[in-house]
Amino acid sequence: MEQKLYVRALKFFLIVAVTILFFFPIYWVFSMAFKPFPEWTAAAGKIYWYPHHPTINNFRAIFSRKLEMSPIAGTAIRPIVNSLTVSIIGTGIAMVVGVFAAYGISRYKAGGNLPFMLLQLRMFPPIAILIPIMIMWAFLRMIDTWYGLVIIYGVVTLPFSVWLMKTFFDDIPKELDEAAIVDGCSNIGAFFKVVIPLAKSGIASTALFVFILNWSDFLIALILTDRRWTTIPVHISKLQSAMVGALYGPKAALAMIAAVPPIIFGIMIQKYLVRGLTFGAIKK
Amino acid sequence: MAHISLERLVKRFGKQTAVDRLSLEIKDREFIALLGPSGCGKTTTMNMISGLLKPDEGNIYFDGQSVISTPPGKRGVGFMFQNYAVFTFLNVYDNIAFGLKIQKLPHEEITRRVNEVTRLLQIRHLLRMSASALSINDMQRVALARSMITKPKIFLLDEPLSNLDAALRATMRAELKKIQQEAGQTAIYVTHDQVEAMSLADRIAVMNFAVLQQYDTPYNIYNRPKNLFVANFIGSPTINFFEGIYRKKEFVLSDFSGGIMPVSPKYAKEVKAKLKQERVVVGVRPEHLKVRHRKNGSGHNLKAKIVSYEPLGSKTVVYMHPDGNPHAIIKSVMGSGYKPKLGEITVLDFEEKAIYLFDKETEELSLRFS
Amino acid sequence: MLKKQIKLEDRGKIDTARFGFFMILPALVFLLFIVIFPLLSSIYLSLSEWSPLTGGGTRWYEAYKYWGWLANYWNILRDVEFLIAILRTFVIVIVVVPVEFFIGLGLAFLFRENFTGKKVFYSIILMPMMIVPAVAGFVFYMLFQAQGPVNAVLSALAMKEVSILWLQGKASAIIAIMIADIWQWSPFMFLILLSGLLALPEDQINAALILGATKWQRFKMVLFPLMKPVIVISLIFRGMEAVKIFDSIWLMTTGGPGTATESISVYMYKHGFKHLQWSWVAAGGIIILIIITLISLQALKPIKEQEEKQAA
Repeated sequence: MEQKLYVRALKFFLIVAVTILFFFPIYWVFSMAFKPFPEWTAAAGKIYWYPHHPTINNFRAIFSRKLEMSPIAGTAIRPIVNSLTVSIIGTGIAMVVGVFAAYGISRYKAGGNLPFMLLQLRMFPPIAILIPIMIMWAFLRMIDTWYGLVIIYGVVTLPFSVWLMKTFFDDIPKELDEAAIVDGCSNIGAFFKVVIPLAKSGIASTALFVFILNWSDFLIALILTDRRWTTIPVHISKLQSAMVGALYGPKAALAMIAAVPPIIFGIMIQKYLVRGLTFGAIKK
Repeated sequence: MAHISLERLVKRFGKQTAVDRLSLEIKDREFIALLGPSGCGKTTTMNMISGLLKPDEGNIYFDGQSVISTPPGKRGVGFMFQNYAVFTFLNVYDNIAFGLKIQKLPHEEITRRVNEVTRLLQIRHLLRMSASALSINDMQRVALARSMITKPKIFLLDEPLSNLDAALRATMRAELKKIQQEAGQTAIYVTHDQVEAMSLADRIAVMNFAVLQQYDTPYNIYNRPKNLFVANFIGSPTINFFEGIYRKKEFVLSDFSGGIMPVSPKYAKEVKAKLKQERVVVGVRPEHLKVRHRKNGSGHNLKAKIVSYEPLGSKTVVYMHPDGNPHAIIKSVMGSGYKPKLGEITVLDFEEKAIYLFDKETEELSLRFS
Repeated sequence: MLKKQIKLEDRGKIDTARFGFFMILPALVFLLFIVIFPLLSSIYLSLSEWSPLTGGGTRWYEAYKYWGWLANYWNILRDVEFLIAILRTFVIVIVVVPVEFFIGLGLAFLFRENFTGKKVFYSIILMPMMIVPAVAGFVFYMLFQAQGPVNAVLSALAMKEVSILWLQGKASAIIAIMIADIWQWSPFMFLILLSGLLALPEDQINAALILGATKWQRFKMVLFPLMKPVIVISLIFRGMEAVKIFDSIWLMTTGGPGTATESISVYMYKHGFKHLQWSWVAAGGIIILIIITLISLQALKPIKEQEEKQAA
């Protein structure tokens, strides 16, 4: 049923308003990243709604090794590399373990209530698990290591990789596996030769989804890292308490670097976001 | 009274025209079928009549009043959806009572009517069941009850039987017709199944590619199809078409490698008068086309080779192709015990008055010899 | 001997069961070592009064030397800060989740039909959800500065100087945090509710329309009941995550001023890391775990039902 013109205009106006509201903070941090010192400093006296003299000095600052910009925190190169490393490896672990488990659950109903226990895992406040983990890790001297961090990333995102991949496997008709087995394939052969190729895009989307989660993590890295293996979000928070005052510009630059990959990947896997976020309970 | 009139209805979706200047008159209490292949525009037409879609051009009248600006809820129509669309979150009673609750009828009246309808359709035992737990057949009856209970004057049915098993379809067909007649409703029935249309409808509106092809009684549609499409769509197995040329009181049929089909003098004059040009399509229905094993006196020498046959119990369908032309298929309906020899060359036998003569260019029926 | 007696079909069944088991084995191992074991050790620790300061550095297994039975539990349940942190967290959740729900629902209805640029608006509106939560916290930290954009806009609207010290006031800080959360997670509700809305069986709504239902009646009597499963799932998932709120708080106020914005997670972090009260925090964690498990068992029921319905 078509509607009157003014109703449609009103709706459109609302949408535009909401979009502006939602976009503004993102715009703010992006614009902050390109503002020169006089425009972002707290002492400026007025607000610069856009960079009057755009500059990339902030980016230079966070990568510089000179101590005057961030005496406590140091250069941001290391955290960026760290974030990339642990996010990728953590994703790898969650994917490998998750894909196998998801296949077992999808085809063989393995594990009984295991899937739902994984779901319950997500309900715990992470801090409750992280304290004993931290204690164990401290004892095992795994604090501030990449492997210490990466194992936890693998576990914490396992519910997502399992559930999401399970829905993708469910989408592939069981008959295809059975056809392969009838043709002489072993169970595992059918898995690798038939199902995995068909699930390629599902695997890619799940991997991106898990990567976003790992990259966005803050608390786990905060607890399990110290100096060597801090990730970008932790580094930002350290800059927060830097004694040099509120370093909005450089921090915004770093924040932008942190924010961009998830946004790009998120838009790429837009189709599957609902599925991933609700553990397959809702499929578009 | 529920006389429906469609006047040059047009509906477009983007660049596609779904319904192209459709005009139709439906008499009070008439049961008509909208028949055609998928995508022909029948469901779109139905949706415009019900009010779910607004036409781009044209008008719709119920008893002389334009209902184009009347919202669907106020048009007094009952609608049966192809997938039944029962309210999955309600039980059977609430499903059926829905329309009455909207009309704010008193509680006792609602209960009385629900009992009446469910008794009629034999689903009273299901009243407390959740609608989502019903079998397909029961769901269909609940949907029927729900649309009947508001006593609409006009009943619209969108392929309501296509999801049922074949055996049930026949019984439900009879029941639907009976209900419609007893309730005195005007009914429009959308289907792609020509058997359903032929058996149920007082008149059939055959549609193809958004255009109305023919609107007539089943008998006329069968015997005087307006064009090739209608002739082909109605009748099972489908009609045989032979292409050819009319020349000097005989048809030279290209499908038979130039085989001759003479025209008796009785009809030759008529043919000469009605045909606008010489290229024709000769149509013969399989039920009028018989297989003979020796030459007979019917005058034509059309031979065919038997390819296969289907023994269907009450009849046997024989598939042949013209002698020398393996690309064309000819169908013949023979008797129950008929068992032909595969590969045998036979003679086709049919009466002149069974022929449908079509103009190849316009694809329209030029004449029938009867 | 036994193998010969097993029929061929049963062997197929055993093989498949075994195969399935091997498939989930890595996941089980993971869970055992990284979830079950730490949980058990956490319980162990919580019953002691050990902390790295009292003895042994990181040799936590020696906690038995400092046994305290339920002392930690008793004390923590009497710690006002802890209880207030729990209360505060639930207050935040009770406010933000419904607001996010209604914003998401409104947006979902607006996005039902097509309009120019729909895909672009859609992608932009989803962006807050994809921002690293810590970054979102930092952004709102900037926005809520005394000379920041929020005050600037308020000043323009009120036509006089507005200079609220958002992050320094006890109540205003909580409001700021709520606003940040609503900004970040309304798109989440929007995404889920829109999917649900678009998946609604059109036919049933049309059936109601033809039976005479007005727009409001269609909404109340058909649309809303059909949306219920999706609504429940969205609320549960959002509620589940909202309780864990940490990142944005830490970046905006680190729980301050004082302890005014401490959520459960912030409280536990502070006591675990500033004060190194490890066994104390372990006890706190166990308590939270028990509360959440009880709630989650109830809450997960509809999701389990949905899953079973889809499998059928």
